[in-house]
Amino acid sequence: MRRNQSSLPDVALLAFVVLFFVFMLAPILVVVVVSFTSAGFVAFPIPGWSTKWFARIFEYRPFIDALIVSIEVAIGATLLSCLLGVPACLYLARSRAKWANAVMTFLLSPLSMPMIVIGFASLFFLSAIGIGVSFTALLIAHTVVCLPYVLRTVAGVYAGLPRSYEEAAAILGASPLAVFWHVTLPLIRPGIMAGSLFSFLTSFDNLPISYFFGSADTNTLPVVMLSYLEHQFDPSVAALSTLQLLLAVIALIVVDRIYGIDRMTVSS
Amino acid sequence: MRNLTRRSILGAGTVMGAGLLTGGFPRFAGAQAKEITVTAFGGVWEEAVRTCFVAPFEQKTGAKANVSLGGPPQWLAQVEADPQDPPVDVLIMTPDLALSAAKADLVDDFTVANLPNLAKTPQELTDSVAGKGTIFDYGVGGITFNKETVSQPPKSFHEFVDRVSKGEFVASVPSISYAVTPIMLIWAMAKALGGGVDNVDPFFEAMAKMKDNLVFWGAPNDFFNQMSSGEADVGIYFDGRTWNHYDSGATWIDFLNPEEGGSLNGVAVQKPKNADPLAWTYINEILDARNQEKFADIMNYGVTNTDVKYSEKLNGRITPWQKTAFPPYEEIAKVRNDWVDRWNREIGR
Repeated sequence: MRRNQSSLPDVALLAFVVLFFVFMLAPILVVVVVSFTSAGFVAFPIPGWSTKWFARIFEYRPFIDALIVSIEVAIGATLLSCLLGVPACLYLARSRAKWANAVMTFLLSPLSMPMIVIGFASLFFLSAIGIGVSFTALLIAHTVVCLPYVLRTVAGVYAGLPRSYEEAAAILGASPLAVFWHVTLPLIRPGIMAGSLFSFLTSFDNLPISYFFGSADTNTLPVVMLSYLEHQFDPSVAALSTLQLLLAVIALIVVDRIYGIDRMTVSS
Repeated sequence: MRNLTRRSILGAGTVMGAGLLTGGFPRFAGAQAKEITVTAFGGVWEEAVRTCFVAPFEQKTGAKANVSLGGPPQWLAQVEADPQDPPVDVLIMTPDLALSAAKADLVDDFTVANLPNLAKTPQELTDSVAGKGTIFDYGVGGITFNKETVSQPPKSFHEFVDRVSKGEFVASVPSISYAVTPIMLIWAMAKALGGGVDNVDPFFEAMAKMKDNLVFWGAPNDFFNQMSSGEADVGIYFDGRTWNHYDSGATWIDFLNPEEGGSLNGVAVQKPKNADPLAWTYINEILDARNQEKFADIMNYGVTNTDVKYSEKLNGRITPWQKTAFPPYEEIAKVRNDWVDRWNREIGR
């Protein structure tokens, strides 16, 4: 009796977790199944199996061009975010200056603003200073929204590190650059990796900002997918989503094998 | 057009910052052939634009037309942000946004001097966007139904409302989140039921009567999902999209133009001020009868050049624009927000 009483919450919790995952994953599963349909339109259940919609992805050139742009801008914005975000964190995370918090809040502010507002405002600002609709503008706008992810994760890791590690290295004669390279950087690397991953995914999936900077050679995949869906009902977008999902899973496996997902969330 | 390309940045620089600053201006440096940037929706629309308009333009001029995919709000914002040097040379717009562009004086007047083929486009279609553009392609917002479950479809908006109210079938109508809903549903149904721009009470009363037997679609593809899953048997939808769906294998679907006339949902073409003058040549190709015939055949939508002769397949499908209800776009734009507000209060979906 006592055993039953204690196991009931466990069963309920297990049931809740299973239902939660079904609720979250079922729509994704439907998209994956639909991407293999033999029908010429989206319908579920599917009448038969086919891989023709995956072939369509490669036939329709804008999908591939946009995929390349998306990857390029995601890598570029992530690199820029790290180049700008890591030094900013090293200074701001331990600064006692009154304005340090204000600067950090300012840099994190894109997280609390609707992306469509950032996209619209960036378009007008960057056009006013002569950068306009271009890959440069797209990269700058994406960096603005990716930077907070690097800042959050790196600042979180760095603020939790004892100063004594860096002080010990300095007392032993290491130059500031050597302290950074041999002590600080290895310690904050999990934060940088986690921030980079968030940054990459945020940029790769972004629609509201990319939308305003789309041109003949700067359209990203979400913009082309949206535009495609305006007048086309075939399941090629489902196939593309399945491919994106596959790429994300492969990327996670590769990152896990090379670096370890655990190390990105737990400071070494 | 005048900025760095992604290749110049990511390919050239070993240092990101230096790459950003010194990546170069390859379009200036390598400006051998004249280029313009035109706009298109993605998918079959873009493929039709390339085949029917871009190819003849490039053949005649030797210039290149780059196709920018996206949507009208995006292109209008881009032109508005940089009117002195617009990043696109030709705009494809919905009539309401075309009117906004015209009012903001962002686009050029359309004249036969610049566009000889404009002479073959009915004047009403140019006037509807204040003479600063013209409608070259249109769909009709009518009644789409599942032939297998609705053997006797409603022939008019009146009949549609009566039979849906009685629960004879479940109908799918566009939700207010879809941009064209105020025109294709609110105005069109209000007009058919005796109202108009100044009086949309008949529409809201009809919606109240039908509310138990209605589902809503937020994006065009939702409608087909509702129809194919059996969630709805009939609905207010577009002719061209319906026929495209039919041609893709959904032979159970059909469309009719309501007796009162479904709303005309046009696609306008415009030229931003300060855009490359070569854009006129491209727009003239868009207005050409033979090019429009090919475009209509691919898209299953009506086109506007009076010399166009539709193929046999299209003859039974295309509703002449004169048999549609032509929306007063400008008047609708003035009251649109009030309608949306009332929809949110009374319908809420």
